[in-house]
Amino acid sequence: MQLIIQNLNKTYSNGVQALKDVNITINQGMFGLLGPNGAGKSSLMRTIATLQEADSGSITLGDLNVLTQKEEVRKILGYLPQEFGVYPKIDAVTLLDHLAVLKGITNKSERKGLVEALLHKTNLWAARHKNLGGYSGGMKQRFGIAQALIASPKLIIVDEPTAGLDPAERNRFLNLLSEIGENTVVILSTHIVEDVKELCTDMAIINKGQVLYKGSPMDAIAEVEGKVWKKRIAKSELEEYRKSFNIISERLIAGRPEITVLSDTQPDSSFDHTAADLEDVYFTHIFGTTNKEVAAQ
Amino acid sequence: MFKDIFLFELKYRKARAANYIYFGIMFLMCILAVTTDIVQIGGGVGQVKENAPIVIAQMIGIMAVFLSLIASAILGVAVLRDFEHNTEAILFSTPMKKFAYLMGRYWGSLVVLLLVASSLPLAFMIGDLWPTREAERLLPFNLITYWQPFFIFVVPNMFFCGAIFFASGALSRKSIVIYTQGIILLVLYLASQSMLRDLEQKEIAALLDPFGVRAFGFHTQYWTPGERNTLQIPFEGYILYNRLLWIGVGILVLIINHFAFSFNVVRGSIFKTRVFKDERITIKPEETKIPVAQQFTGFSTHLGQLLKLTIFYFKMVFKEIPFIAIVVAGMLLMFLNAMNMNELYGTSSYPTTYSVLGLLAVFNLFFVIIAVLYSGELIWKERAVNLNLIIDAMPMPDFISLISKFLGLLLVYLVLLFGLIICGIIIQASYGYYKFEIGVYFGSLYTETLAFLVLYTLLSMFIQVMVNNKFLGFAIAIAFSILVGFFGQMGLEHPLFQFGSGSLGTYSDMNVYGHFVTPFTWLQVYWLAFVVFLFAVAVIFSVRGSESVMNMRWKSGKLRLSKSLVRMMAMAVILFASTGFYIFYNTNILNEYSNSDDREDLQVDYENTLKKFEFLPQPKITSIDLKVDIYPSKRDFTAEGYFILKNKTSEPIADIHIQENAESALKTEYLKFDRKNGIKENFDKFKYTIYKLEQPLQPGDSLRMDFKTTFVTQGFVETSKSNTQVIFNGTFFNNMYFPSLGYNEGYEIGDDNKRKEKKLPEKERMMERNDPRGLAQSLFGDDADHINFKIQISTDKGQTAIAPGYLAKQWEEGDRVYFQYDMDAPMCNFFSMISANYAIKKDKWNDINLEIYYHPGHEYNLDHMMEGMKDALAYYEKHFSPYQYRQVRIMEFPRYASFAQSFANTIPFSEGIGFIAKIDDPDKDIDFTYYVTAHEVAHQWWGHQVMEAGVKGNAMLSESMSQYSALMVLKNKFTPEIIERYLKYELDRYLQGRASERKKEQPLEFVEGQGYIHYQKASLIFFALQDYIGEDSVNAAFQRFNEAWRFKDAPYPTSANLLDQIRKVTPDSLQYLIHDMFETITLFENKTETAEYEEKSKDQFEVTLKVTAEKFRADSTGLESNIPINDWIDIGIYGKNIAGKDSLIYLKKHKITQKENEYKIMVKSKPRKAGIDPLHKLIDRHSSDNTKGLIRKGKEPAS
Repeated sequence: MQLIIQNLNKTYSNGVQALKDVNITINQGMFGLLGPNGAGKSSLMRTIATLQEADSGSITLGDLNVLTQKEEVRKILGYLPQEFGVYPKIDAVTLLDHLAVLKGITNKSERKGLVEALLHKTNLWAARHKNLGGYSGGMKQRFGIAQALIASPKLIIVDEPTAGLDPAERNRFLNLLSEIGENTVVILSTHIVEDVKELCTDMAIINKGQVLYKGSPMDAIAEVEGKVWKKRIAKSELEEYRKSFNIISERLIAGRPEITVLSDTQPDSSFDHTAADLEDVYFTHIFGTTNKEVAAQ
Repeated sequence: MFKDIFLFELKYRKARAANYIYFGIMFLMCILAVTTDIVQIGGGVGQVKENAPIVIAQMIGIMAVFLSLIASAILGVAVLRDFEHNTEAILFSTPMKKFAYLMGRYWGSLVVLLLVASSLPLAFMIGDLWPTREAERLLPFNLITYWQPFFIFVVPNMFFCGAIFFASGALSRKSIVIYTQGIILLVLYLASQSMLRDLEQKEIAALLDPFGVRAFGFHTQYWTPGERNTLQIPFEGYILYNRLLWIGVGILVLIINHFAFSFNVVRGSIFKTRVFKDERITIKPEETKIPVAQQFTGFSTHLGQLLKLTIFYFKMVFKEIPFIAIVVAGMLLMFLNAMNMNELYGTSSYPTTYSVLGLLAVFNLFFVIIAVLYSGELIWKERAVNLNLIIDAMPMPDFISLISKFLGLLLVYLVLLFGLIICGIIIQASYGYYKFEIGVYFGSLYTETLAFLVLYTLLSMFIQVMVNNKFLGFAIAIAFSILVGFFGQMGLEHPLFQFGSGSLGTYSDMNVYGHFVTPFTWLQVYWLAFVVFLFAVAVIFSVRGSESVMNMRWKSGKLRLSKSLVRMMAMAVILFASTGFYIFYNTNILNEYSNSDDREDLQVDYENTLKKFEFLPQPKITSIDLKVDIYPSKRDFTAEGYFILKNKTSEPIADIHIQENAESALKTEYLKFDRKNGIKENFDKFKYTIYKLEQPLQPGDSLRMDFKTTFVTQGFVETSKSNTQVIFNGTFFNNMYFPSLGYNEGYEIGDDNKRKEKKLPEKERMMERNDPRGLAQSLFGDDADHINFKIQISTDKGQTAIAPGYLAKQWEEGDRVYFQYDMDAPMCNFFSMISANYAIKKDKWNDINLEIYYHPGHEYNLDHMMEGMKDALAYYEKHFSPYQYRQVRIMEFPRYASFAQSFANTIPFSEGIGFIAKIDDPDKDIDFTYYVTAHEVAHQWWGHQVMEAGVKGNAMLSESMSQYSALMVLKNKFTPEIIERYLKYELDRYLQGRASERKKEQPLEFVEGQGYIHYQKASLIFFALQDYIGEDSVNAAFQRFNEAWRFKDAPYPTSANLLDQIRKVTPDSLQYLIHDMFETITLFENKTETAEYEEKSKDQFEVTLKVTAEKFRADSTGLESNIPINDWIDIGIYGKNIAGKDSLIYLKKHKITQKENEYKIMVKSKPRKAGIDPLHKLIDRHSSDNTKGLIRKGKEPAS
């Protein structure tokens, strides 16, 4: 089963163009959607999750037209929104059971087994009878994951799932996803490059509503391999370097800036060669484009 | 610091658009109220000018109740907003003093609130200067009129309400608590309203109402129209106490708030949300396998989902604290009202199921709040907790979410209604009444109330979905439900235009739900189809996902137009249209439909066209013989027979003017005379025909007029307009349905303001007392003097048909029963026809047959009625004259009207006023069943033996004389304390009645149909008269009057004739009483200033009393002037009797000639209280200060 997004466009009523001619094909397995805050990730995910209309374009999942056959899509969909809340005065078992009914799990004993397994799986078993209002951020996020897994969905959309999880929880969650991802389409949006690197066989980078890159993380890294150079400089020099080099990222290390530059050749001898990372790809596309735009003006 | 915060608050508020909107709304409402009919909040009626101080104050007082809603919005958030916007951490860490912070915010907000509130006086001021206002209905402009109520009512109310809202917002940090507070205030206000009905609780009610409206009402309740136009609002008495009380409460609240408020950011709330530790135990998530569960779709799955969600939302509502608060508040108010149910003269009724249902109706207001609030809350529930995207992505059909929310609420209603039934049963049981009619409970609550709830819930859900903003949705839903009430005034009177129209009408034990069920059912189906359609539209547009823009909702909504949804909408439209047509067919085609404007125009047209015939000489009816067949199950009747008409004038009469009744169900099949005639003129519109006899009717000659009238009920009309006289069980109508002679003045418009609008001249309510045309006709009209009467009346088997006369024959034919009634002596031209399923109680007094025809089950007071008849007959025969008939019959009729009425030897008596009265304590409660019986029996003398002329003062003869007669029967039967209590109620009702007089208050001798004078004032006057001159003397005067006028045809007697007789039996020293009591409006202001006693010896007590007495004469508007006093007035002293109750140990009339008086009186036992006119024989607007507890000289009060 393939999810094919073609020429998707969306402009909000306040004039913000959230999606610009988006074309992506997503195969079974984990697909990472990388982009900074406000890039249009959530808009795209909501549109795939049948919760938002597109102005034009199409999305198909196998034989299904996602934009019109919403009901059919929802049957095989697991969705974890970026931000969500819960009814505060009921406990996890009740709400999960409630949602399982809405998913169409009508057999009571099957439902019970499923709910219990999901609570085990997301490590919420001990807190299953506590009111959701008293859950910590991480617990709530795990609950969100649990509900997205009800009824073995064929299409899982998880929007920024690792935000708010501590490192251990994050690992466990990523493992969980990879377990499921084998014969399912899983779309994972994130602004954390590591998540994609560790999990995804395929990815896209998106910014300002446009797809800047599509392909596998490995290919992406290969694309910039050997072109990434680093240098530690003084703060006062920063402006100057910005003007003269294609800086893709700046970071502080022990208070001194370290700049990363994309260049086919060594810019000068003071730059050190460094192994390319997915993060560099990411920054290349995000800031590379902005810099080009600035240059074009 | 305080100043900075105060000024910051003002600056902050200045930028808020909401405050300007509040101001605008209040301003607009007030302006509209005084310049148009769209908004109605009180106003001047009759003689009271539209901008009289009291009218403006009332309107400001009522609007101030609404202002409290705005107060919650402005003051509630004064501190709360820091928590809602999460600025508290920043603010509270500044070195700011708590006092300055709280007070700065409070006073700043209060000033803003008061500026908003100033819209009221400003709007009324401008409204009164508006050019379209009629100058003659206004007083000269006076600034104080507008601003005084503002400072007396609005400022303290806002101070107090503001303090409560401010504190509840600051302490709870939750907006929902503020709204709940508002509901509690409302309950207090409503509770004080129900208490106000009871005379003994009025003072408490006046204090209890936090808005001061009741205190104001209490203080001004007896103000006459004249005073209303002249007096400013006094800041004294209960108004002052009430204001001080609630300002005090406000200050207290602010103090509590100051000490309870804390700058801690993390609240120490009572309802702590516990944060649980994430316990990790030995389960290894990695090893857990998620089992495969089968996923189903399809109808049964959706049904299961619907069920699950329904129960889910149902439980959710029941867990809401505000919901519980609303329900508890509603129930509280209900039980409070239950304490004084259905009171009449302080006597309560049996808590029959229908009267308990009336009580439960208090809860409807709370139902509306719940429906509007929780339809909004549920629609927004997922979005409020931010769970919407997860739920929206679930694979269930689009309508399930909305329907389950509706069904959840429906379930809430079902449970609440059941709870109400339990409450009703508890109330009944607590009164010791165990005839629970569960069927009636269910039949009313689960039909009428439930239908109303369903309609409003679906409507409100539709509004919420369409406007897609919770608070705007609330506002529109509430505004709509208020506006519906005004549709009628905008000309949309037809039930098809009035949302939710169709009521189940009045329930009667006799007629049960009667014929109201049919229109009710059709209208409910009609409106249900309407809201179902709206609901389907809501399904299409409901927000699923993150799109909230209308065209995007339409884009996704189009996909939801499934076959079944389209089919549902089509069915709703078809059902709506077809029921609409069917209702229209019934109300407008089968029946005649006219709105009130049309009817008024017809009245005007009638008067303009035919008034010239009003006094045209016509023959008089001398004999009536009828066959009336009543078909209760079809609600039809036919009447066929003849009138004998006799020319009693001295001129020949050629033209006979016949007026048929305007009721559209009535048709005259034929009307013919026994001699040649033709139609001279026919006014079809007015059902008025002039026949011309070929040979004029010579003086003294008679002719026979045969006619047949049919009454056919076709289809149905709306409940409020439907005929409640010809019904399934308890038919009761009179001869008004039959043709009458000449112009009927009763069809004219009576209200002077309306007449002016329609360019008709002002009109007197009755003819002058010496008008010869009036003297020539009796109170029963000018169609006849006395008549011979015979009637054959039939009805369906199982019912009994009754008309005046003696039963001569009774037989059955098929499924019909026939009764022949003959009257053996001439009687008045006023007769009733009655048919119902009756049980009969029979008795005899001397040779007179006494019968009560009653609804089986209403046996409670039959003995009281029987006794009333006997005692009354005995007293009247002894003191006035022999009874002219051989029988008295009382027959019960349904409570669509609540009166009893005397026809010749026949007294229809409403089931609502005595059949279910409950006398708890015969020493304390007034037995009004007994009393009403005695009054109606008295009419057989006053009204039937002596018919009076139809001129001013007529009711002083029939009604007032009956009041006196019944009161004397009562006096012989019951203790003086009961009489005293009765008179106290009469005094209250007289003073209230004159306060709302629309035209002019008349002295008793010129009373023109004013009930508060000919009933209430007359009770007081005649009771005092017999106290002054003696019962025997009054009776002697009555007897002589009776003797002089008994059974006489025209000319008829007037009040002057009775007064002549009374003058003859009144000693010279008391002749002034007649002038005071009958010829003028005289009031007293009697008061005990100090009352002390001294114990001279064991059985020698000297009482020293200082009393003041003033005498006033009022003009027709109620303006008083002081006149010299020279009157005999009671001085009385109470001790305790053996039973420990107050009893008079001294009562004597003293001649009082000056305002201030002092008395020293010796009594033999220990006195407790004393005063002037202790029994309230004189009319005194402050009767409670007449007596005072006695103080032992130099000691504490002896209480």
